[in-house]
Amino acid sequence: MAEVILNNVQKRFGSVEVIPDLSLRIADGSFTVLVGPSGCGKSTLLRMIAGLEDVSGGQVTIGGEDVTGAEPDKRGIAMVFQSYALYPHMTVRQNIGFALRLAKRPKQEIKERVEEAAEILKLGPLLDRKPRQLSGGQRQRVAIGRAIVRNPKVFLFDEPLSNLDAALRTQMRVELAELHAKLGATMIYVTHDQVEAMTMADQIVIMKSGVIQQSGQPMDLYKRPGNPFVAGFIGSPKMNLLEGRVAKDREAIVFGVRPEHIKVSDEGGEWRGVVRHAEHLGSDTVVYVDAEKVGALTVRLTGEVPLRAGSPVWMTPESGNVHLFRADGSVERV
Amino acid sequence: MLVSEGVAAAPPRESAFQRMMANGQLKMVLIFVPPAILIFTVFVILPMIQAGLFSPYKWSGYGPVPWALNEDTGRTFGRWIGTTNFERMMSHSAFKQSLVNTLLVIGVSIAIQLPLAMTLALMIYRSSRINTVFRLIFFLPYVMAEVATGLIFSFVLDGNYGLSRSFADLMGWEKAFFPLAEKPWAFYCILGVIVWKYFGFHMMIFIAGLQSISSEVLEAAKIDGAKTLQSVFLIKLPLLWPSITISVFYAVLGGLQVFDLVMPMTAGGPSNSSHTLVSYLYNFGFIRLNIGFGSAVGVFLFVVGVAFAFLYRNTVQRGQ
Amino acid sequence: MISWKEVGRIATLLFVSSLILIPLSATVLGGFKTTGEMRVSPFGWPREWITEVYVEILRDPQFWTYLWNSLVISLLTVFLTLILGSMAAYAFAQAKFFGANFLYSYLLLGLMFPFAAAILPLFLTVRDMGILDTPWGVILPQVAFGLAFSIMFFRTFFKQMPDELFEAARVDGCGYIRFFFLFTLPLSTPILATIATFVFVQSWNNYLLPLIMLNDRDGYTWTLGAMDYRGEYSWAWNRTLAFVSATLAPAVVFFLAAQKYIVAGLTGGAVKG
Repeated sequence: MAEVILNNVQKRFGSVEVIPDLSLRIADGSFTVLVGPSGCGKSTLLRMIAGLEDVSGGQVTIGGEDVTGAEPDKRGIAMVFQSYALYPHMTVRQNIGFALRLAKRPKQEIKERVEEAAEILKLGPLLDRKPRQLSGGQRQRVAIGRAIVRNPKVFLFDEPLSNLDAALRTQMRVELAELHAKLGATMIYVTHDQVEAMTMADQIVIMKSGVIQQSGQPMDLYKRPGNPFVAGFIGSPKMNLLEGRVAKDREAIVFGVRPEHIKVSDEGGEWRGVVRHAEHLGSDTVVYVDAEKVGALTVRLTGEVPLRAGSPVWMTPESGNVHLFRADGSVERV
Repeated sequence: MLVSEGVAAAPPRESAFQRMMANGQLKMVLIFVPPAILIFTVFVILPMIQAGLFSPYKWSGYGPVPWALNEDTGRTFGRWIGTTNFERMMSHSAFKQSLVNTLLVIGVSIAIQLPLAMTLALMIYRSSRINTVFRLIFFLPYVMAEVATGLIFSFVLDGNYGLSRSFADLMGWEKAFFPLAEKPWAFYCILGVIVWKYFGFHMMIFIAGLQSISSEVLEAAKIDGAKTLQSVFLIKLPLLWPSITISVFYAVLGGLQVFDLVMPMTAGGPSNSSHTLVSYLYNFGFIRLNIGFGSAVGVFLFVVGVAFAFLYRNTVQRGQ
Repeated sequence: MISWKEVGRIATLLFVSSLILIPLSATVLGGFKTTGEMRVSPFGWPREWITEVYVEILRDPQFWTYLWNSLVISLLTVFLTLILGSMAAYAFAQAKFFGANFLYSYLLLGLMFPFAAAILPLFLTVRDMGILDTPWGVILPQVAFGLAFSIMFFRTFFKQMPDELFEAARVDGCGYIRFFFLFTLPLSTPILATIATFVFVQSWNNYLLPLIMLNDRDGYTWTLGAMDYRGEYSWAWNRTLAFVSATLAPAVVFFLAAQKYIVAGLTGGAVKG
């Protein structure tokens, strides 16, 4: 159990500055998700916490201990990789027990701890197989088992679900959340998928170009995005971010309203438009509208709504759910 | 296949052959395969069979085959001597020496050259500019012709010039030292040159293998606490097993063929002490136009090669 | 910050490099020295740069004949190996015909024994065909021995090509033979380059086959020429070294440029980048 603190951490590759200056506190026992588009520095940050990348400047502490220059195995961390990184020539049992073997633990202890980890992950019957005989989901579990067995203070996950198919990903999301609840360890999780971030995190850190855009609880980020980037990144379908007259009239640079916060009526409203395309999902209907004055809008309606391409509609943004992003960086909700 | 209701009976199934005729496959096979088979048979397989057939004869190569009748003399061109060629070969000290030498080549390749190549590969497999330069330098000997290499080293080891002279001067010897003309040294020099010439080749195989190891696996090992040597012996070497087996295969098959280096360096001398199997075959079969005897040596080479290939397939390759 | 480990690594690498580069530089420099200087300072920098030896070699038409012969033999070997090997491999990869497995294993026999084993009957075969002392006497056996490994690599490569491509072409009315020339070959440039380079290196450096098949000096390849030269000027190392340098230089430049393909050939035909 440990909190992770990054103090003015910097990372340069040659003359390229990946992370200019970043400070972050990750609370003990939290499930923190680092999220952002590819190339935003989130994986580099994770690898710096792991000790796989040198820190160009600043300080990393884990559980109050300065580990800035420490070797990866001396940091009390465990990591699950995107490609699982299982040792292909070892059985599941050997894979999970490798770290203990290197730490020269007694054979009996290794056996017990491996089986204990296998129990948690339901890997029991697979212990003597090689990785190539396992399915994607099973490999994923072995990778997690390899992390669990070390009893780390901090778990690091680097896009662990991106190689799985959609159904398995949903299932593993639930399992990971349960695992977190069970172990209570600090977990730091990197992904580019905002759905994973929203569903699993108790703290989300949104990054872009090596800079933290905003961090906080998922619902805070959803309700009070600090800038248009965060607003566009969190939530699906994307928030409508309108520039031009709508924004200018309200002394803002960007006028933002989520698709689910637009009311539709065929009698009257603020904006008039014509449906370009409608997706009927049963539970929801997502409508793409060409609106006069404001341009293309996405609207999400609950339930089945009989709108077709070509239908004329009136739309009104819900009051209290409009985000006005000002030039000075402030945001106002009206 | 979709069966619609209107169809009463499936059409009669055409045979595989008819189908091949119809879709042009047969024509393609008949045009594409025979040239390769023909040229391979004429220049590889038939000569090998002939080597087997010629080996029980004493024959100078005059006439079409040893057992044909020479109308001028009224006798066959060659003389049947049974297993005499093999017996002579086996009891010939130069042959025994050439066999020992060939085994030495294989032994040194595997026991000295491969570990050396592996060590260097581990040093320079990561991509960086300086590593690329070293890789090119180490690969340089491999792309040079054996003959050129042999000539260069016969200069380096020439007692009147080269390294050998500097060495003799250094030791304060009165007389020049000609290692290529001294009995045990001549072949040791050839062994040294073989290591010099081919280690870069094996190194490249290992580098390609090392580069294909996923970097995440190595990082996972690092997080699990593997130190440099542990990661070499517990992760890298086991994962390199396919590359190592390829390397061993080349080392053995290449070892059986050494010839081009021997000719410029020693031509088999002094007193036939530095022959390999192939240079022995060339010297005692081809130069002396002793086709039957040379064929017997060839059959021996063939048997050794095939025996190794089967051994290799049934042991090393089985795991893959 | 430079660690001691890194210093040790570079020092080792420099040491090994010197073992390679010193003999080579002595070879190139030797051609610029007098015989007298060779004795005194075989590895050093020439006191006086003598260019006569190199000039004489480069002006000798015989020297260029050797190189030309080697080039002709190597290029024809490459061409025939590529065309025969790829065609046969395509048939083995695309078609399932009676005896295909047998024929394929038959060809792979060529990988199992050193070709020198059959060199005497091969010599007689070439003699009886009347192509002794012609380039074909070297080319055809080289092609035959190169077929086994090239067919194996081609077949692996062709098998990895998507079936959909062929199916799409068939729907458009393209037959097997036309598909081979219009699609398979153009899409196989990496493996073609790999095998071409590999076969070229083997042929260019070959010594045993030319030694046995070629007797006429005008038909000699450069390897035979170099050995001849050594015999002729055994008293003058500077001449032999200059000859070796002059023949080696273009080849080494070419091979290093093509090393990516050579390495790919060693490791099973997978070309990266």
